[in-house]
Amino acid sequence: MLFHSWVFAIFFLVAYPIYLALRRTRLGLLWLLTASYLFYAWANPLYLVLIAYSTLLDYVVVARMTRSGHRKAWLAVSIANGLGLLGFFKYAGFITDNINALLSSLSIPYAAPAPGILLPVGLSFYLFQSVSYAIDVYRGRIERETSLIRHAVFVSFFPRLLAGPIERAGNLLPQLRQTPRLSAEDVTEGLSLFVVGLFKKVALADYLAIYVKQIYDAPGDFQSPALILATFLFGWRIYFDFSGYTDMARGVARMMGIRLMLNFNNPYLATSLGDFWARWHISLSSWFKDYVYIPLGGNRRGAFNTYRNMFLTMVISGLWHGAAWTFVIWGAVHALGRFATRELERTTFYRERIPKLVKQLLIFAFVTFAWIFFEADSIGQAWLIITRIFTSGFADPRCPVLALVLVFGVWLYQFAYESRFRWVLESRGVRFGAVVLMILYLAIFAPASDQAFIYLQF
Amino acid sequence: MVKKESKPKSASAATGGPDVPFGSNCVRLSRREWIAAAIILLAAFCFGPALWERIEKFEPGPDYRLPYASGYDYWLYGRYCRWAHKNSDALVIGDSVVWGHYVDTDGTLSHYLSRDSADLRFANMGVDGAHPAALAGLLRYYGRAVTGRKVVLHLNPLWMTSKKQDLQTEKQFRFNHSRLVPQFFPRIPCYWAPYSKRLSVAIERYLPFFAWTSHLRISYFDSMDLPAWTVEHPYANPLKAVTLVLPEDKRGKQDEIIGRGERAAAPGGMDWVELEGSLQWRFFRDSVKILKARGNTVFVLVGPFNEHRMGAEDLAVYRKIQGGIETWLRQNDVPYFMPPALPAALYVDASHPVAEGYASLAAQLIRNAAFRSAILGRSESAPAD
Repeated sequence: MLFHSWVFAIFFLVAYPIYLALRRTRLGLLWLLTASYLFYAWANPLYLVLIAYSTLLDYVVVARMTRSGHRKAWLAVSIANGLGLLGFFKYAGFITDNINALLSSLSIPYAAPAPGILLPVGLSFYLFQSVSYAIDVYRGRIERETSLIRHAVFVSFFPRLLAGPIERAGNLLPQLRQTPRLSAEDVTEGLSLFVVGLFKKVALADYLAIYVKQIYDAPGDFQSPALILATFLFGWRIYFDFSGYTDMARGVARMMGIRLMLNFNNPYLATSLGDFWARWHISLSSWFKDYVYIPLGGNRRGAFNTYRNMFLTMVISGLWHGAAWTFVIWGAVHALGRFATRELERTTFYRERIPKLVKQLLIFAFVTFAWIFFEADSIGQAWLIITRIFTSGFADPRCPVLALVLVFGVWLYQFAYESRFRWVLESRGVRFGAVVLMILYLAIFAPASDQAFIYLQF
Repeated sequence: MVKKESKPKSASAATGGPDVPFGSNCVRLSRREWIAAAIILLAAFCFGPALWERIEKFEPGPDYRLPYASGYDYWLYGRYCRWAHKNSDALVIGDSVVWGHYVDTDGTLSHYLSRDSADLRFANMGVDGAHPAALAGLLRYYGRAVTGRKVVLHLNPLWMTSKKQDLQTEKQFRFNHSRLVPQFFPRIPCYWAPYSKRLSVAIERYLPFFAWTSHLRISYFDSMDLPAWTVEHPYANPLKAVTLVLPEDKRGKQDEIIGRGERAAAPGGMDWVELEGSLQWRFFRDSVKILKARGNTVFVLVGPFNEHRMGAEDLAVYRKIQGGIETWLRQNDVPYFMPPALPAALYVDASHPVAEGYASLAAQLIRNAAFRSAILGRSESAPAD
């Protein structure tokens, strides 16, 4: 069920008043669970089996962990279950393809059959959330959740179920334990978040997608300007798409009195790759920091180990996004970029002499370049795009001026937001005008979009 | 790994929740501001389309018909209905046979009816491709202005010549005006749209605002939404595209007429559906009921179908279907006329006449007693030829 659909509108118009009526009673959580499962089952009722299994297993495992002496073993069960499910549903095809390619290169006449498994929507997100809960209980950072219903709501809370944010138990569970104190401000701010997210998704992301798809579907047919502009717009498209989803998820949750974590913080204003990852998909990057990078040793054992840990974390993060070598390379490219900017930041010249705007543009250019690997169907296609960007001649890119105006408008807004001119954006006229214009634009001009969110496939 | 360099403003502690930042922009309205925004938006949604009618000129001439390019512009159809309600004496409603697929605006049935009835103005309310299921939806949702009028409702038997035309095949296929057909009940077997799409269609047809936005796309953006249009016209100014001049389309599709004589006369095997189980017949009856319930005087014109294309077996089935239609019309006190087939040379295909065919049909109608009584309001006997 997509947030930007009438189906969701009706679902929410039914689920929300019931939630408001029941939230102070013992049935409140049960209703939240029912609504979440209904929301999830809309795409495919079979998905419920997997999420129910995963929820139940982690609930039992964590209970056993706190009661028995084999804490590590029970944690291992939880992690193995999470990774096993992820491996089976997400990476089976990738692994089979690579085994077959290896066998073929060794001239061994055998090919393993393609598993043909459908990846359940949101699997990567709720498994990571569930596993982190088990780890946090193991580390003693949080108390075990004794209520199965509450634990199930924590795993399946519908606004964030499909594509995050990957909430920490330490943030979400305490909110579920108390009766949400819903204020008018929660509703108005939730609505504000939702409208901004809806605009990002429908008016911007889906718009840019038309041009990007046209170019990336046949990169060999286009010259350098079109490929550069399509890559530039893809960077914004994925930002609008994913941060739009997050805004809507946070908005819906906020209207229910639940505060989900900030997941995007104007990432294209980052001045270093480290800064970029502190602003982009914050819930995932902090997850990798806490549960991969630091357990690997973090930056505690010298430069080599620090860079090794960074590299491994980024490559695993890349692979999390998709079962393809292009994602691995994307992660590796980001790791190399992080090494470079980290070293540059140690120099006085870079820190003090290079203007902030130049750093921001450099980081944006680098991130945009890396998106080529993210969006391309294969390494071959990514390479084709890169070579054509640098070697093909000039041809009219036929890129919609309106799309560029909208993108630069948003970028300018973000620059202003992080500058001393923020007061302009905070003025009533600008805020009010922005909301009214966004809604009118959505109602009049935006397509009847049924494009799914990019991150649902992860 | 994660280093916060720019901490956004928190907006939560005041209400007791965890200290989670609101977001990374200033787009947040207070309760009062939301109420003000809601009032403005509600006004735009309610009065925007009506205001637009004052800005955009719409002056249909006597032989006006919905331009071919605007065939899916249901908002314009509704507007035309309101115009016709005021400026016409009778409305001719139907599919492309009424619209005049192969003829110019001055070669349609409504044109000849207006010409031959001397003092009555007939409006061409046909819509290309509007099969009975779509027509019922068109009248139900967009033709509300058609009240208390004299209506000639055309039934094209073509829509019952196969299970596919009758929308009864289980195999999915794209058919015209799917947004007008019932989205849930009764079930249309060949309509496989996902439930989310059906729901959005069902909701949007009760909200005129969305029909109006569709009108903007059809009239000014080549039936595309704005993003798709700007991709096609990357350097054009979308505001300049809104010329406030509606599409014009006076010519029919004469260029589609190929080997007319042969095609019109060639017998073709038909797989008629049973009248009782026919979906299109069911929807046609719905149209009659809708129009009658709105106080209209409904006169039904059946065919004339191109019987020259039929073999003996097909003709026998067709006669049986005609009999069934006739029975129902009689039982429901609906005046009707089932003219005999026109000469073969006056057809382009199975159901569309050429201009002379329409002229001949109009002449037959004007001589028909039921038509004279119901539509022309004359009880005297028909003039001699």
